[in-house]
Amino acid sequence: MKFLFNTGRTIRQGSYVERKNAPSYREEASAIRMNPVDMFEMMVEEGDRVRVKSSTGEVVMKARADPGLVRGRVFCSLGPYANHIVSPETHGTGMPDFKVTEVEIEPTQDPVSSVAMLMGQCGGVPYED
Amino acid sequence: MRIEDVVCSFCGCLCDDLVVEVEGTRVINVENGCTLANEKFMGDHRLEAPIRRSGGKWEKVSYEEAIAETAGILLDADRPLLYGWSGTYGEAQTIGVHLAEVLGAVIDNTSTVCHGPSIMAIQEVGHPGCTLGQVKNRADVVVYWGANPVDAHPRHMSRYTTYCDGFFVKNAFRERKVVVVDVRETESSQVADEFVKVNPGGDYAVLSALRAIVRGKRDIIPPDVEGVSREQLFRVADMCIAAKFGAFFFGVGLTMAPGKNKNIRNAIELTEELNRHTKFTISPMRGHWNVYGSNEVFTWITGYPFAVDFARGIAFYNPGETTSVDILRRGECDACLVVASDPGAHFPRACAEHLARIPTVQIDPHVNVTTHLSRIQIPVAVAGIDAEGTAYRMDGVPIRTRKLFQGRYPDDLEVLEKIYAIVKEAKG
Amino acid sequence: MTPGLLIKNAFVIDPLSGVKGEIMDIAISNGRIVDEAPRDAEVIDAAGCLTLPGGIDSHSHVCGTKVNFGRYMSPEDMRAGRTARKGVMHVTSGYSVPTTFGNSYRYSTMGYTTVLEGAMAPLEARHTHEEFTATPHQDMLANTLFDGNWSIMEAVREKDVKRAAAIVAWTLAAVRGFAIKLTNPGGTEAWGWGEDVHSIQDLVPHFEVTPAEIIGTMIRANEMLNLPHSVHLHCNNLGVPGNFRTTLDTIDLVPDLNKERQSLYLTHVQFHSYGGSTWRDICSRSEDIARAVNGKPQVVMDMGQIMFGRTTTMTADGPMEFKLFMLHHNKWSNHDVELETGSGIIPVYYGRKSLVNCVMWSIGLELALLAKNPWQCLLSTDSPNGAPFVKYPEIIALLMSQRLRESERKMIDPRTEHFVPLFAIERELDWYEIAVMTRAAQAKALGITRIGKGYLAPGAEADVAIYPISPDQVDPSVDYQQVMAAFSRSRFTIKRGRVVARDGEVIVEGANSTIWSKAHVPPEYDMGTDPEFTKKFEQYYTVRMRNYPVQDVYLPRGLRIDTEASL
Repeated sequence: MKFLFNTGRTIRQGSYVERKNAPSYREEASAIRMNPVDMFEMMVEEGDRVRVKSSTGEVVMKARADPGLVRGRVFCSLGPYANHIVSPETHGTGMPDFKVTEVEIEPTQDPVSSVAMLMGQCGGVPYED
Repeated sequence: MRIEDVVCSFCGCLCDDLVVEVEGTRVINVENGCTLANEKFMGDHRLEAPIRRSGGKWEKVSYEEAIAETAGILLDADRPLLYGWSGTYGEAQTIGVHLAEVLGAVIDNTSTVCHGPSIMAIQEVGHPGCTLGQVKNRADVVVYWGANPVDAHPRHMSRYTTYCDGFFVKNAFRERKVVVVDVRETESSQVADEFVKVNPGGDYAVLSALRAIVRGKRDIIPPDVEGVSREQLFRVADMCIAAKFGAFFFGVGLTMAPGKNKNIRNAIELTEELNRHTKFTISPMRGHWNVYGSNEVFTWITGYPFAVDFARGIAFYNPGETTSVDILRRGECDACLVVASDPGAHFPRACAEHLARIPTVQIDPHVNVTTHLSRIQIPVAVAGIDAEGTAYRMDGVPIRTRKLFQGRYPDDLEVLEKIYAIVKEAKG
Repeated sequence: MTPGLLIKNAFVIDPLSGVKGEIMDIAISNGRIVDEAPRDAEVIDAAGCLTLPGGIDSHSHVCGTKVNFGRYMSPEDMRAGRTARKGVMHVTSGYSVPTTFGNSYRYSTMGYTTVLEGAMAPLEARHTHEEFTATPHQDMLANTLFDGNWSIMEAVREKDVKRAAAIVAWTLAAVRGFAIKLTNPGGTEAWGWGEDVHSIQDLVPHFEVTPAEIIGTMIRANEMLNLPHSVHLHCNNLGVPGNFRTTLDTIDLVPDLNKERQSLYLTHVQFHSYGGSTWRDICSRSEDIARAVNGKPQVVMDMGQIMFGRTTTMTADGPMEFKLFMLHHNKWSNHDVELETGSGIIPVYYGRKSLVNCVMWSIGLELALLAKNPWQCLLSTDSPNGAPFVKYPEIIALLMSQRLRESERKMIDPRTEHFVPLFAIERELDWYEIAVMTRAAQAKALGITRIGKGYLAPGAEADVAIYPISPDQVDPSVDYQQVMAAFSRSRFTIKRGRVVARDGEVIVEGANSTIWSKAHVPPEYDMGTDPEFTKKFEQYYTVRMRNYPVQDVYLPRGLRIDTEASL
């Protein structure tokens, strides 16, 4: 299904910013909030993994129900998971389109990468503390 | 030891009324702080020592070695990028700018992915603003637009707006109307007197509609503007016009959404329009602690608040060209020094990939996403906890943070001064 | 510290020492003027060079929140003046609002060694001091804003001058301020509601005091504290046609309370000398103002000259900037400061084809030419409001040459002469008068001769400006181009005994001082423990009282002037 992907700050993401290798940060930053009816239609339940694809890339996230969201829209805390699929185009402003990425979402059995693994995919070398 | 009036170093609110209890080199209790402040002061997840990536592995190195190697990387580079700066204090930012000047580098701060578009709009139309106390003491209407203070600035409402009594507003909760404009429901929208739900990307049109109404052109407003009914637009505009003192606060919901700087320009022009009827101010909700300080420091030294390129000797500024995301996206820089921020987490993947490709050095107290992309990381004291210096609140009020204890880490200033000394020596 | 300097064969004008143009030597040791130079002193041959005490600007906007916002919002101005890093000089940007190093280098190469920042909001004082440190070649002083201070207005309402004095003493010490500044007193508080005051008898909303009462109380409080400078006033109604009446009413208020200096300093008086009632019939009332000042030795003013071209206006006078915005529809910034003051910024262009601008341009010059006593009218542009300070040499030339004024007359709106008396004035100022108006009178008015500023007699601070022009060989009335060139670029600028600039280039890293005032009050007047005063912090400020004062670390070379208050 197609969705409009939005990002923003959450208090949990903020709380965990100084331990980004920790599972708590991964849990929050990889959570994708969806309208419960959309989840129902996709046969996805709270905590199920989904693959989120944009024209820039794809990443595995965990679905989380949020009745405050209109159908067809999803929200994810800003961070490395969201940024895996956001285009770097800034239209001459320096600012990427963090608020309106068109994505396709489907259920998956693939695991959610750790932050370190995600950066490994970017060419980095995971540092485990 | 109990320390009062401690300044929080998390968000742009810079709350300065925290009471912190310290035992040795650890904070064991925080009073008056929000969740974010508690995590900031009580958390203790620091990187132990400088680390260096060698081949596919990480190893510990001494500070001297890490500093010398960093200076070497910067000296070797043709087009270094010095990015970050918002999590550190002004004195360190100052050295950063001088370092960029000597290197002929690009220096940029986190506004680039936060309120950079706001700055661009302000450069077009100005900024009618005020200090937060002005809002606290006077405002009877407060509008949060594309901002979610409950999550991002948890004490903004209790210190300055919704729940905060002031001199002319004795009972804020009753006397002060709060409007929230957003594309989705949030905890902030739930406490609003009026929630205006806009379609994604619809802010510009809604702002334009409000401007038209304030100008007296109600008859041209269609029944629905980007998901907002005409009736609600009239109601909100009337509320603003009737205000004795109104205050807009806007967040990255406006700066990152389609329209970006043009959204902000429109919001500022709406504020100007309202000033023909009453008193109105507008303020960006600056997020990352001392990001506004980095704008201030950059400006008094270079003339520009962010994205400053020294490659031609003079200070040159052109957002879209000299901004970090664009420089990284184009694969243009050949070394990067990251100070007090986390571009690995907050830049699009393509930028992270380039950071991994070039020698990236990070000066930061904690392991973060950028760590995995770096060649070297140098841990330092945390500004506002074991390092002190100047920070600028989101409204431009400068406050000096306190050093709560003497820790075992050098601070940003010390490390940067050493790098600067080596570079300056080499450059003559 | 260098061993010493000997400036030989200089053509010296040193008004405070009574030297009106003599060829003499000046000896310097340990940063001070001395009778005899140390034996190994470096020698500077200043033959044929006009040599003056270092220039002092007693009203300029160079550092702090609003100045930096002027830069922040104006990349076009930053582009209009930029230099690369060179030698010890950092990169600079900006024309009308240069970066701090830009200001410092440009002032220094013009022979200026001391600058007073015209407006510092106490709550944001730390910012001003940070920028002072980055303005390294001038000693800096900060006028501290009290125009909309709630505690002050409450004391005024209670007619309690001593309490007002005590509040000033606490605040100046807390923010490391130098003097009391009132900008549109009462008007900045009214602007908190989008209003203004329109005469010195208008009531300030809620506080129920008038500008006249604020000004009168503060003048007396200032003298009770024995502060070095007088109250420094930006009158109400700036820039409004017909405002000369407000200015005259204000001058009428001024008592004569101080034998050493004026009791009131009126700043940028050009902006306050307008006749007429609208922008169509605006005319010069400089004669009325000059007559009033000539008759009141207890008043000193500065010109606030405007010069044609682009600049940026910035002031604590928020409502005035909004009015200006309504006229120009250019970009507008405003920044109200809780419990204290306001501020506004807009860029402007003063055009020779604008009759209003031509009238303004004339008025500033008229004030200087009609003031009988040069010690009562100081040269300023309220930089950058009237023009950036780099225009001072041109203003000097205009004041010294009627011929130059006549040639300008041909360039401006031909109707101007019907609205101004300028072209009927034949007076041409001489070198001595210029020396008075650019340093000696500033030192006296600011009360800083006591720390050795503004003169060159033994004991004085060795701040010296040596200009490549010889007064006995140049007729400024004719050779005005040479006058401009000389004052634009000193041959040597010496700061505290060190050559800091030579022929337009700064050659050393600077190390300035920040001069501030501390009035010692009896313990019962210590506001730090006053319940009403501390309540302001507990309830209404958004910064805690303990976090408010500027720490010593912000003044690496602070220079405190102590006074005993007579309370």
